[in-house]
Amino acid sequence: MASSALREQQRDLENKANDLSKLQKDIAKNHQVRKKYTIQLGENELVLKELDLLKEDANVYKLIGPVLVKQDLAEANANVRKRIEYISAELKRLDAALQDLEKKQTSKKEAIFESQQRIQSLQAGKGKA
Amino acid sequence: MATAGAKGGKMTMTTATAEMERMSIEQLKAVKEQTDLEVNLLQDSLNNIRTATSRLDLASTALHDLSLRPQGKKMLVPLTASLYVPGTLDESNNVLVDVGTGYFIEKTMLEGKDYCERKINLLKSNYDQLFEVASKKKSIADEAGRILQAKVKQLAPAT
Repeated sequence: MASSALREQQRDLENKANDLSKLQKDIAKNHQVRKKYTIQLGENELVLKELDLLKEDANVYKLIGPVLVKQDLAEANANVRKRIEYISAELKRLDAALQDLEKKQTSKKEAIFESQQRIQSLQAGKGKA
Repeated sequence: MATAGAKGGKMTMTTATAEMERMSIEQLKAVKEQTDLEVNLLQDSLNNIRTATSRLDLASTALHDLSLRPQGKKMLVPLTASLYVPGTLDESNNVLVDVGTGYFIEKTMLEGKDYCERKINLLKSNYDQLFEVASKKKSIADEAGRILQAKVKQLAPAT
C-alpha cells in the first residue's frame, strides 16, 4: 500500500540522516587531529631551526620522562627531522581522508534531499487519493 | 541562489559589501554570526600571543638579573611550589634553554639572551600579522551588522 512505501521512505531518510551526522562527527574529529598535528609540526620546525644555529660542539639534552639525557647534535637533528617527516605524512593522509569524507557528505546530503522529495510526492499522492 | 558561503575572505571590501547587499536577511544573519565567531577566535589568539610575549619578557629580565649575580652567591632553590632549599650560585655563564618538544640546549648567557630576543621578535611579528587579519574580519562583521540593520528597518515600515 502507499502508506507502507511512505514508511519505508521515512525509515530510509532516518538512516541517511544518521549516516550524515556520523560523517559530520568524523569530519570534526579529523579537524581536531589536524590541528594537533599542525601545532606539533610548527614546534618541531622551531626546534630544528634552533639546532641548525648551533655549533658542532654545543650540548643538547632531551627530556625523557623526568630524566634530562645528553644527546648528540647529529642525533637530535636526525630525530627532529624524522618527526617532521612523520607528521607531514600524517597531515597528508588526513587531508586525503578529509576530502573523501567531504565528498561522501555532499553525496549523502543529495541523497537525503532526493529522499525528502520522494516522501513529499508520496504524501501529496496520498492526499489526493 | 547566492550561497551563504560567500564570506569576505579573499574579496575586497567593496565586493564584499555588494555581495552582502544582495543577500537575504537570513543569509546575512548567518554571515554575521559566522564572522563574529571568527573575530572572537582571532581575539583569543591575540591574547595568547600577548601572554606568551610577556612571559618571554619576564624570562629575559630574569636572565639579565642572573648574569649580574656573582658566582658563589647564596640563594634559595625552588624544589616545589612551596619548598625552597638553600644553595649557592654556580657560574652563571651557561644556561639551559628549553626550545620545545622536550629538547634543551646549553647556551652561554649571551646566546640565551639572544634566544629570548629572537623569540620575542617572532611573537611580535606574528601578533602584528594576526592583528591585521583580525581587524579586517572585524570590519566585515561590522559591515554585515550595519547592512542587516538597514534591511530590517526597510522591512519594518512595510509590515
